[in-house]
Amino acid sequence: MQLDLGTPMGVTLGLLPEILVCAWALIVLLVASWRHETAADSRLAGWLSFVGVALGGAGLAWLWINNTTPLGLAQMVTLDPFRYAAAALILVATGGAILLSLGYLERELLLAPEYYPLMLLAASGMMFLAGAEDLIVLFLGLEVMSVAVYVLAGYNRANASSSEAALKYFLIGAFASGFLLYGIALVYGATGTTNLSLIGAQLAGGQLSLMAALGLGLLLIGFGFKVAAVPFHMWAPDVYDGAPTPVTAFMATGVKIAAFAALVRVLVEGFPAAHGLWQPVIAGLAIASMIVGNLVALAQPTIKRMLAYSSIAHAGYLLAAVWPGTRLGSGAVLLYLAAYGLTTLASFGFLAALGRHGERSVTYDDLAGLAVTRPWIAAGLSICMLSLLGFPGTFGFIGKWYILSALIAEGQIILPVVLVITSVISAGYYLPVIMAMYMKSPASEDVHQGVRLYPAAAGAIALSVVAVLVFGFWPRGALEASVHSTGTLSQMSVPVARK
Amino acid sequence: MSNFLASVAFNQWILHALVLLPLVGVVPVLLGDDRSARRTALVVSLIELVLSLGLWWSFDPVEGGMQLVSSAPWIPAWGISYRVGIDGISLFMVLLTTVMMPLSILASWSSITRRERAFYALMLTLLTGLIGVFIALDLFVFYVFFEIMLIPMYFIIGIWGGANRLYAAIKFFIYTMAGSLLMLVAIVVMAWKVAGATGTLSFSYEHLLANAGTLGSAAPWLFAAFALAFAIKVPIFPLHTWLPDAHVEAPTAGSVLLAAIMLKIGTYGFLRFAVPFFPQVALSPEVTHLMVLLAVIGVIYGALVAMVQPDIKKLVAYSSVSHLGFVMLGIWGVSVISVQGALMVMISHGISTGALFLLIGMIYERRHTRMIEDYGGIARVVPIFSLILTVVALSSIGLPGLNGFVGEFLVLLGSFPAYPWATGLATTGVIFAAAYLLWALQRMIFNRLDNPENESLTDLTRRELVVLLPLIVGIVWLGLFPGPVLRRMEPATQRFVETVQAGRPNPMQLSGQGSR
Repeated sequence: MQLDLGTPMGVTLGLLPEILVCAWALIVLLVASWRHETAADSRLAGWLSFVGVALGGAGLAWLWINNTTPLGLAQMVTLDPFRYAAAALILVATGGAILLSLGYLERELLLAPEYYPLMLLAASGMMFLAGAEDLIVLFLGLEVMSVAVYVLAGYNRANASSSEAALKYFLIGAFASGFLLYGIALVYGATGTTNLSLIGAQLAGGQLSLMAALGLGLLLIGFGFKVAAVPFHMWAPDVYDGAPTPVTAFMATGVKIAAFAALVRVLVEGFPAAHGLWQPVIAGLAIASMIVGNLVALAQPTIKRMLAYSSIAHAGYLLAAVWPGTRLGSGAVLLYLAAYGLTTLASFGFLAALGRHGERSVTYDDLAGLAVTRPWIAAGLSICMLSLLGFPGTFGFIGKWYILSALIAEGQIILPVVLVITSVISAGYYLPVIMAMYMKSPASEDVHQGVRLYPAAAGAIALSVVAVLVFGFWPRGALEASVHSTGTLSQMSVPVARK
Repeated sequence: MSNFLASVAFNQWILHALVLLPLVGVVPVLLGDDRSARRTALVVSLIELVLSLGLWWSFDPVEGGMQLVSSAPWIPAWGISYRVGIDGISLFMVLLTTVMMPLSILASWSSITRRERAFYALMLTLLTGLIGVFIALDLFVFYVFFEIMLIPMYFIIGIWGGANRLYAAIKFFIYTMAGSLLMLVAIVVMAWKVAGATGTLSFSYEHLLANAGTLGSAAPWLFAAFALAFAIKVPIFPLHTWLPDAHVEAPTAGSVLLAAIMLKIGTYGFLRFAVPFFPQVALSPEVTHLMVLLAVIGVIYGALVAMVQPDIKKLVAYSSVSHLGFVMLGIWGVSVISVQGALMVMISHGISTGALFLLIGMIYERRHTRMIEDYGGIARVVPIFSLILTVVALSSIGLPGLNGFVGEFLVLLGSFPAYPWATGLATTGVIFAAAYLLWALQRMIFNRLDNPENESLTDLTRRELVVLLPLIVGIVWLGLFPGPVLRRMEPATQRFVETVQAGRPNPMQLSGQGSR
């Protein structure tokens, strides 16, 4: 099916998932303005929002199944499988985060139901970000997403570190947006357009002007902040640590998926001709993130901070997958985002349950002996840790294998070697989690008594863990989907020259 | 026998059954209660043993290539298929695994008293991983099995191990993983380079082996990555430091399986992958000198360090470093005799060292000490135990007529023409072995019975005799009649030697190798 994005009808249909999610968020807000007192009201808003995610998913499925493409040049937003795949991942992350929040908010007595519409708004911003074909739309999507997530990060007003997280995230985020906006302005000045395909066409063949190069550099800095790549990562540990755990899960998955999808599109569609310029930068960011993220994670006393640093390391692996700029590379980014997203969602879900009332920070020692009293939680968390480690039999391994293949197919060797060596380092902090649960004895008999997994969260986590295992052993479907999703992305762009 | 096996199409399903059966067995182990877990696991591993014995007859002893090959597509887009098969090298590794597993389970009968279901489930998972490693003919599949078996062993050491088990478990895991991840990079690089030369992306062993010549200047790096992974596993001096920790801290069954089988994965990797893929690198003068040197250092260093250990389990652990040095020397001897010798050492070491760890475990259960000085003169109290320990120790030393002698003699015989000096030095390892083991024997079971606590020791039970008897039979049988085993190995070793010699760097054109 082809849609003419020049007509109002065409745009409406092309943006169906975003519009559905956004409009549904307003409806939930409306409901919430009447019912915002009790735990039941909060639950209602939560389930309503989950329905909104499902609606968005239905709209997305309609576009994807009909294989919708734009008539002529895509303006503002694209219609291609890469966008659909990224949007699908974002919706899964959002749905998962909502399910994790349901029991958590009641437990922590954060009963204001506006929480859920904010998540939906953030999701629509993410989808805009991942589908933007124009730098202005990209910026708008980014801001819609960010503003909603700033509020979510500070949702636990009574908690000082949550407020600190929100303020920190807001200040750094504003800073990053500034960089991004400057970059967009300079690129516009150099090429006279903000459309990515047109920028790509403008820059193809000719010498890259200083202004365009500066613009590209500022864009990369902006993205570096958003994906928390070293050296732009300083905000991430405090924000991840301070925010309510389901929000952290949402940030670590949704925000990352959207930002990486946008980054891939900007580089592969807008700047394929400048790959000589951005590839070294991406490689440097990737190596720095992998090394710093993994090394600093070793020294973290609490699981949540460890996961925050590990997410920096994973940003490094993903940046390595961005490096080739090929179809294989973009496929690897998508697949790794899926693997990382599912695993991270489940890990933070477990962590939220283990935090118990009052969101105590969970240390390694707090996990001691969990396998005896709560064998299922221990088994699930172990599978998550192994998947993050990239161990065979899990989805995380397939993701890493794909990244290695994409890099090696382009003759790159340094990034793969750094990737595997830092992965070995990461065993030094993922394994102690398993070790504490299985090999240490609990401090006292009833130490794990308050741990409770709420049914909705348990369902979401169980599905994620099963998916991590299933895709670990039968990755065929996921692989083919990821390869298929990147088809149009590379067709539209000038192929990156092979060395 | 052969007719019966053919009538049930044995060759078509046996390898898949060997991989799947233990995994299926995990289910009843987990569903049952803790006390019945050990019985279920024993039954599963015995069925596995009986099935695997059929390979002895269905295996064609004159064929040098892969037999019983079968494959199923797994990830066709990446050229990955689930491909398995065996030859004269892997046949014995598979049989060694299936023999040692029920014995290890039986040996854990009374020593594992906590979380039994988990223990026996992990043992069976480990069995799947070990079989898979030895029969995999696709490098992706090999890598997956190679890594996956780390998990059960990690838990076995970490949960049921000794006092320092956490440190030993994580050290074991990280050492192995560090090597294997670099090998993963090498596997992917190799597949893509071969794909660039042939147009087919495939991780199949035969495809990569046939086209390994197209790797050109990348070959030294790829060899280094493979060699590092396997060298850690063997372990070759100076990468051996994880071994004493892991072997000593592991429960008896863990030590037995580590020594008898998991160390062999390293030498098997050299025989199957590292050397045949890159003969021009592996047999270049620099690499040859280095490997032979490290092998000889391993033989002598392992023996000397074993001599000064006060802890009998640690002594046996270090003796492994020494024995595996012989295997490496035999592999680099690259003659049919030396490689056959290396394989024989692999098998004999599996049996003898496995038996030693079992015996140590049995006496530890009674006395709760592994210090040699705590014993002394116990031959009078536990005569059967002492007799068996003596026989096993003599076989480990390499007494003619027992199994240890055959392998080490063949290695020395086969390697002597190529490396007379190194072989001469390695011979001293046999002497040192006699020294540390006989001295330990003397202090443990002979001398004076001066510690009253030893007077009440009880001799081996019937169950323990059942565990040890098959190994004693193996020790004597392999020592007296190694012929049938050697005959089945010969075509495969012949083929190995031919493949490697064909790719050996010609001294005249050494400088031109890189540009090929």
